[in-house]
Formats: sequence, C-alpha cells, structure tokens
Amino acid sequence: MIVVLALGCGVVQAQLYTKKESVVRFFSGAPLENIEAENKAATSLLNTATGDIAVKVPIQAFDFEKKLMQEHFNENYMESEKFPYAEFRGKINEEVNFTAEGSTPVTATGKMTIHGVEREVTMEGKLTVSGGEIRLDCVFTVLLKDYDIKIPSLVMQNIAEEIRVNVEITYKPFEKK
Amino acid sequence: MLRYAAALTLASLWLCAPAQDDLMDMLDAQDVPAKEKTTATFKTTRLVNAHSIETMKEGALDFRITHRFGSVGKMSGGGIHTLYGFDNASNIRFSLEYGISDRLMAGLGRSKVKEHLDGFLKYRLLEQTQDGSMPVGLAVFTNLAVTPMADGDDIWRKALHRFSYASQLVIARKFSPSFSLELLPTYLHRNFVRAYTNPANGAPDESELFSIGAGARLKVTSRLAIIADYFYTFSEFRSGNTDMPHYAPLGVGIEIETGGHVFHLNFTNSSGIIENDFIPDTRESWADGGMKFGFNISRVFQLR
Repeated sequence: MIVVLALGCGVVQAQLYTKKESVVRFFSGAPLENIEAENKAATSLLNTATGDIAVKVPIQAFDFEKKLMQEHFNENYMESEKFPYAEFRGKINEEVNFTAEGSTPVTATGKMTIHGVEREVTMEGKLTVSGGEIRLDCVFTVLLKDYDIKIPSLVMQNIAEEIRVNVEITYKPFEKK
Repeated sequence: MLRYAAALTLASLWLCAPAQDDLMDMLDAQDVPAKEKTTATFKTTRLVNAHSIETMKEGALDFRITHRFGSVGKMSGGGIHTLYGFDNASNIRFSLEYGISDRLMAGLGRSKVKEHLDGFLKYRLLEQTQDGSMPVGLAVFTNLAVTPMADGDDIWRKALHRFSYASQLVIARKFSPSFSLELLPTYLHRNFVRAYTNPANGAPDESELFSIGAGARLKVTSRLAIIADYFYTFSEFRSGNTDMPHYAPLGVGIEIETGGHVFHLNFTNSSGIIENDFIPDTRESWADGGMKFGFNISRVFQLR
C-alpha cells in the first residue's frame, strides 16, 4: 500500500516556484484610439517537476494613463466587482531542463478564465533559466467576444476586437512558511 | 511498523506534485482581502440638481453645459405657445471642473440666473470599501457664489451683499452595481435677503437655510441609468406662503454614458442649477406643470 502511494505520487520531488516580479500588459489598437494598461500585481505558481502552472491577475490593478478609461474598463467592460480576477491554470507541454541555464520556447495548454468565461487555450511562450531564477515570457491574443466582453457600436472605432497581452513573470523558489 | 507506515505516507504525500487546481488554491490562499475602494458609485459628479459623491480624477478636466428650458405646463407659463418650454431657456450654466488630486476637485461656473458666478471645492473625506469595512462614502462640498448683476432695484448697498455660500456633506452608498443612494445635508448662507415676510406666519426670509437632499441612481443597462434627487428646506418663510409660493426642487432624469461623455436628460421644477439658487428660489411646482426639461453635457479631458 505504501509503495502504491509512493508510486502514485510520482517519484519526482515537487519543485515549486512562485512569482518574484510580474508585469501583465495589454494593448488594443483601433483607428481612433490606442488603449494600453499595465498590471504589476499578478501572482503565479510554477511546478518545475510537472510543468503545472497557475497565474492569477487582479483586474482592478490594471493601471491606465486616463483614469476615466480605467473606471470604464472596470465598471462597464470587465465588470471587475463581479469578476475580480483573470486566471490561467494549465501545464507546460514540453520537457524543460530547469537546471541548465538558457532559453527554451514552450507551449502551455490549460483553462483561461476572463470575465467569468472559461476557455481551453494553448499559448506560446519562452522560459529562460538564469542565475537560479526562472523567467516566463508570453505574448497572446484575447478575442473579446470569446469572453463575452461587449463593445458598444458607438466606441467600435476606439476599441479593438483582438487584444494583445504581454506577460512577463520572474520566479523564485517557493519557501513553505 | 505502523509508525513507519504513517511516516512514509506523510512523506509521500508531501512529495506529491500539486496539480494545477491545487496551485490555484494556493494562490487563492495567498490573497489578503484588500480594502478595495468602491468605485463609480455614480457615473459623474452630479445627479439632476444635486452633487454626487464623485470627484474628478487627478488631472481630469470636465467641461459641463447644463441647460434648463422653460416650464412645460400652461399654468406655469408653458403650454403649446412656448412649445412646452422649449422656446425659453430658464437657465444655462457653463463650468470647468478639475481634479486637483483623486480626492479633491475644484470648479468654476457661470449661470444665467442672477448671472451667478460660482466657485466650489469638493473633497472625498471617506471612501466606501468593497469588503464592507466602510459602508458609506463621505464628501464635503463648499461653494461661493456672487451675482454681478446690475443693481436695478438698488438693493445691494455693499458689494458683500452679492455673495452667498453653500456647504454640504454628501453621504453615499453603493448598494449594488446598479443602485446607489446619497443624502446631502446642506447649509446655505446668503449675505443679503430681501425683507419679505410670509403672510401665513409673519416669518421673514431667512439668510441661513438648512436643507436635506436625497439622490439616487438606478442602472438599467451598463450605459443607461435613471437618476433622481430632491431637496427639502426647513424654512418658516417658505412654508405655506401663499403670497410667494416656494417649492422643493425635485428632479428626475436619465443618464447616458458614451466613452468620454455623460449626458443627462432630465425634468426638474427648479430653474436654479446651483445650490445657492435652487434651494431658496424654486418657485414652480410639478403639480402646476412647472417642470422644465433640461440636459447636461459633460466632456472629460485628461490633462496630465
């Protein structure tokens, strides 16, 4: 029974990394107006043994240059009082050697939840190991209608249907407290 | 033997790689419930007549035009011959209102009624929080209004007589994303009042007036809301005065938001737009068709 348990959990020891620094940026390019915002409050956990990854982004921490735009983003589009977080939980598909320094292009498959809508997605990114820290870089596109985010026809020239999102997360080893 | 088994079980459980959902649970556990402030209790700084608890954000400039047409009903000078008030402009106010910081705003405006020039400050004292630790938001408002009108009746002997000051506390609560309510205890001081008296009780017009206002907003869609406000003034002079009837200002309207503009379309019985006018001088009543159609246009520019 003990042997079964040990095997069932995998012989590999869990190696958890947590976010040290993170920046999530998004960009919408439309004929009348470009919209961009930056969020430094995203949190994440990465298990280098299994490739499991979880990212959690508090929507109200997106910083806009125009505060009125920030208010509209939260109140009208993202409804962040109802849906305070955007989340990704997934797994990195490739085998990555986390002990060797260097960069590896990777893909991750999992569930993306934005505005309360969950979708199965696969994203491309890059994992860089350097000096004991792991860095994840990822650029992906979000189609607003996929997540039920409505753009009224009046502002269609101001807001793009496709939003480009940049994620940069630096990880450090997770210390159990 | 059993102790050895238990230890190994525990050890292997600890070695178990948490799955993705477990990782998310760990992230969830890390969250400290932030004292996130409630935002957008109202969509803009005004309801119909009343100020809302909202202030301009830092560096934002609001250019506002408030227009009041004439009375709708025939009994109040309206009727078809004035196209239900559309022929007349009972009051127009232009203003520039600016956010000095996220909590402090200042404004300068000019009304047609009495040619009133007004300057005001509004400061957010307390902000409602999402976790309920602060159930209401509180703002203080203070203004100064001066009338530069020509003194046709030779009543303003001193320049100081042309001034009036209003102070107000705005207590507001966002009950849900679609419903917000506010209370506005208001104090108005007018440096000069004419020596009229109420024939019913002999009370003279008061230079100090205390009122309680109430305002509400109900969102119907994400861009459309119904707004309303009402002020009750405690005044012996105004109560039951059949010689010079005064009425409480009641306003109802709809609020439409489109990108950088917020439009109000409303009906109110007061022609006065600023507190120094609509509190003491609302002379038409809804019952007599004294409501006036009006609109507000607000355009926000981010200066820095």
